[in-house]
Amino acid sequence: MDAKSRDLIITNLLAISAGLVLSGFALIFLGVDPIAVFGNALKTIFTDKYTLGDVFLKATPLIFTALAFAFTFKANLFNIGAQGQFYMGAIVAIAVSLKLDGLIPTGLLLAVVCLLTFIAGGLVGGLIGFLKARFNANEFLVSMMSTYVVLALMNYLLRTFLKESKGEYPQTDALTRAAWIPTLVGGTRLHMGFVLAVLAAVGVWVLLYKTPLGYRIRAVGSNAQAAEMSGINSKRIYITAFFISGALAGLAGFTEVNGVQHMLIQGFNTGIGSAGLGIAILANANPIGIIFASILFGALNVIGNLMGRMPGINIPSSIIELMQGCVMIFVIISYYARSYMDNRREKSKLKKVEES
Amino acid sequence: MIINLLNRALLMSTPLLFGALAEVVAERSGMMVTAIEGIFLVGAWGGFVGSYLTGSTTVGILMAMCSGLVVACIYGGITIFMKQHQVVTGTALNILAAGFCTYFQRVIFGVPTSPLKITPLANLPIPFLSGIPVIGPVIFNQNILTYIVYLLIPAVYFMLYRTSIGLTIRSTGENPEAVDVAGISVNKIRFMTVLLAGIMGGLAGSFYSVGYLGMFTSNIIGGRGWIAFAICFLGNWNPRGAVIGTLVFGFAEAISIYMQTIGGGEYFPNEFFIALPYILTIVLTVSRKNFNVPAKLGIPYSKEN
Amino acid sequence: MSVPFFELQGISKYFARVIANKDISFSIRRGEVLALLGENGAGKSTIMKILYGLYKADEGRILMDGKEQKITSPKDAMKLGVSMIQQHFSLVPAHTVTENIILGNVRGKIDYKKCEEEVEQLAKMYGFDIPVRAKVGELDIGVQQKAEILKALYLKANLLIMDEPTAVLTPQESDKLMEFIKNFTAQGNSVVFITHKLKEVMEVADRVIVMRNGRVCGDLKAEDTNDIELSRLMIGKDLVQPERNFDSAKERTVCLSVKNVTVQHKKESPLINNISFDIYQGEVFGIAGVSGNGQEELCQVICGALEAGSGTICLKGKDITKDSIKDRIAHGIGYVPVNRHRDGMISNMTLAENMMLKTSYDRQWLKGGLINENKLAGYAKQAIDDYQIKAPGPDAEVKGLSGGNQQKVILAREVDIGKELLILNQPTRGLDLGAINHIHTIILRERMKGKAILLVSTELSEIFRLCDRIAVMYKGSFMGIYKSEELNTERIGLLMAGYSYDKEAAN
Repeated sequence: MDAKSRDLIITNLLAISAGLVLSGFALIFLGVDPIAVFGNALKTIFTDKYTLGDVFLKATPLIFTALAFAFTFKANLFNIGAQGQFYMGAIVAIAVSLKLDGLIPTGLLLAVVCLLTFIAGGLVGGLIGFLKARFNANEFLVSMMSTYVVLALMNYLLRTFLKESKGEYPQTDALTRAAWIPTLVGGTRLHMGFVLAVLAAVGVWVLLYKTPLGYRIRAVGSNAQAAEMSGINSKRIYITAFFISGALAGLAGFTEVNGVQHMLIQGFNTGIGSAGLGIAILANANPIGIIFASILFGALNVIGNLMGRMPGINIPSSIIELMQGCVMIFVIISYYARSYMDNRREKSKLKKVEES
Repeated sequence: MIINLLNRALLMSTPLLFGALAEVVAERSGMMVTAIEGIFLVGAWGGFVGSYLTGSTTVGILMAMCSGLVVACIYGGITIFMKQHQVVTGTALNILAAGFCTYFQRVIFGVPTSPLKITPLANLPIPFLSGIPVIGPVIFNQNILTYIVYLLIPAVYFMLYRTSIGLTIRSTGENPEAVDVAGISVNKIRFMTVLLAGIMGGLAGSFYSVGYLGMFTSNIIGGRGWIAFAICFLGNWNPRGAVIGTLVFGFAEAISIYMQTIGGGEYFPNEFFIALPYILTIVLTVSRKNFNVPAKLGIPYSKEN
Repeated sequence: MSVPFFELQGISKYFARVIANKDISFSIRRGEVLALLGENGAGKSTIMKILYGLYKADEGRILMDGKEQKITSPKDAMKLGVSMIQQHFSLVPAHTVTENIILGNVRGKIDYKKCEEEVEQLAKMYGFDIPVRAKVGELDIGVQQKAEILKALYLKANLLIMDEPTAVLTPQESDKLMEFIKNFTAQGNSVVFITHKLKEVMEVADRVIVMRNGRVCGDLKAEDTNDIELSRLMIGKDLVQPERNFDSAKERTVCLSVKNVTVQHKKESPLINNISFDIYQGEVFGIAGVSGNGQEELCQVICGALEAGSGTICLKGKDITKDSIKDRIAHGIGYVPVNRHRDGMISNMTLAENMMLKTSYDRQWLKGGLINENKLAGYAKQAIDDYQIKAPGPDAEVKGLSGGNQQKVILAREVDIGKELLILNQPTRGLDLGAINHIHTIILRERMKGKAILLVSTELSEIFRLCDRIAVMYKGSFMGIYKSEELNTERIGLLMAGYSYDKEAAN
């Protein structure tokens, strides 16, 4: 393995460890022994099937939102609205599922809902892309604000049209088993949605690196001017890229509603948008790397939850964000460390050639 | 009643203006401070902790500025000296800040049975001036932070357009090579503006906890750091635009709160008013054509190109 | 022997992938004009940037009047009286001339009126005609350069370093600059100017330092040497010029026909002003002129990137005025843009990927919906062989290639696409003599194949060497279209500056 790949793996491992160690220090403030707690959590993950399954369960929506950000990132666009596109997908997922629950066979229902959430998320994304293409609107700001708007819409619907029959809380009725995504591994909560996420990642990779459309998206992302001079319509690429990006985030709505929650409530999965962004960064926007980074973040999520449930000590769930943030900062620093080491290596190679 | 609304509008504009002015100065030197949301948040938290533990709002505000400064330091170090991507680094810091504040709020205060309160900043009506009909109670009956921001507007304008350092800052954002060739360190200038953004952003954040609500919750900022960021953009990167943009948003926010309290929910759903500032941002972003983007905004500077 | 003004001893500078300077030693005397001659990439700019404090040397020392100096930033250099004018001006286009000059030289509150007066006085003293309140971005390049020089004079420079100063000037403006240099040095000051043009060296320099591959390979008095010796020192060997076969005759069919084309934005003077010309098959049609007179816009109008306000463009009789870039590529128009990094290639993609930049919509690259990577790699390998591109293979990232090799990649692609018409905008800018020679050979080869070739260039030697007919462009119009043998340097110079000359009176 060449020096560069070796650097990559070592620095990433170091960065992740450094991030965890730093957040471990935070635990000391609560009078908790971080090593014991981490060790305990890791043990549970690797021995308890249910917990291990949860790691992949948590990773699933993250894969989608990370893919969403990474996809537009390749076109040098910033889709900060994955969270909102996810919400839109979730709204469509629950609304359609409730309507069709019990009326059509599960397989067909799931296929229809999957397709409709894809389109719903895609339309929100596509709209942002259109505003960028047509008005040269700053997509960073528009997409970021769109999340808050969709959130408001979702809260409104939960209070009114989608509200449960009991009428007590701002949440929907529950779906019957006929609308659930089938479980992947018995004895866990892990559902086929994870397979869908992995397939989506592979699909995005093939699309970006093996097809002419993906080539054009990357060309526009690297140098939009050269692409335009070569006959590529960058505006159409913007809309296409944003549509696909939004659609991917919308699929997270499908997997979370039909696979995990089986209903729609307020304040669920509020962080998958920004976590997805962070994951895309860690993986350097590489779809396959995103799968692994999402599993890592899923594990952090589960570890945080386990810590919160350990008897006697009260570790708040915000430890999860703390761990994620620390890891991300260290990984960003590791990018710098790698380029620094690379430069040093090249310079010394040069000096060696001179001396000989 | 209108007077009350206008007074409120100016009140809600204050933190946005601190943030927008800070962002304008930083972006004029070429730095997008994408960590602004996190800076606001640590400012709110630092301000609350400082005020609660010492009983003094002044200490709280000072702590808020220091907290913002620390985050800005990390952001500047990574984006300027390590030349990493600004959006990426800012997002990471925003997530870290959120986790940090919520976590340590718990560490320090545990889980209280009822929310912890501090006395927010009192209004200080300026004698005589606050008596002027109509504009008096609106402009001159505010808290100390708002008065500070009034003074800050001409100060920033003067600094940016009439002093040497302002010329240097503006040149750094347009053509950092020109500044480098003149023997001035581009990175030092940019780092300075980022630190300034940290101080002012921290101050802005403290407004929400110390100056207005009197408590701290983890979603106290709720995207308003980003609105300040947007205002810089929509205001065309100059202080005057920042002022106008801020007033518009402050007004929107005041109306939003007002409608919710008087039960405007009869005509429009509450959620619509909550979403109003954000919808407004989208509409303005779409309709604006940027004229004055600093030419090298967001691009790290390195001599060996 | 008197102590030299400045002396460089044993300076070396290493960048990550290249040795920019190795063991550089030479001196600069007071009142002397020193030319720093070498090809692009020889290390001339680097060594001067070290003297000016922009870079730090890895080895060696700098002495002024015999005493060692520590120059760690341009501020140190400026204190010693050194001033440097960069190749790509370091001016802020959005700011005024005055603001640019006082940048870093004022403290505290700025008294704009006083500063403007000071700058105006200084300009008058040196005979420069500069509008001190105008925004730099709106000025002509020649005036911008004067502003840069004024900035150095404002700082009371004694040693003026100029990096490729005549690159953007007409021959007449270059002459004026040479005069300024002579006057400046007559007052006891020194000038170092970096160039790759032999003619300038012989005209104004007292001494010449020749650099090659980061080392000094010649330190001579100008009067002791000549063109040929300098050229040999610069490239290390003798150059074989390509044969030009100028048999006119045969029937000439029109390939490209441009009629009354105008491009004008509202309230501005036209970028292209009612231009008409034809290019025949098998002809190289040259456009000479200082850059910025509409040449790029003309190329863009023909290749489809810019819409013509009025007029028509026909390719082999077919009206393509309204066709998109994509369509024109399909019609067989190739375009090598002047700004290759911005318009012609994608730096962090591979060589092979860049080869399909303009043909990604084509079926030829598709196999079962995916990109046929084998076919693309084969195509790229062929180009590497045919054009002698120094690259590890089709999967090499183009940003790792040298400028000359990058240009060859673009050329390989465009020559293949340009089956009818090939548009070349300054194709050899910034390249070393070997690469320039090779590209000239390719251009003449394509001409022999019968293609119509439009060549835009600011290098008169290139224009004369390759073109059958020459048009001179000035402020968006053609000053005239001439046969190559009807023009010489002096006449072209006048035309480039906007003076027409009477053909009959001249002959």
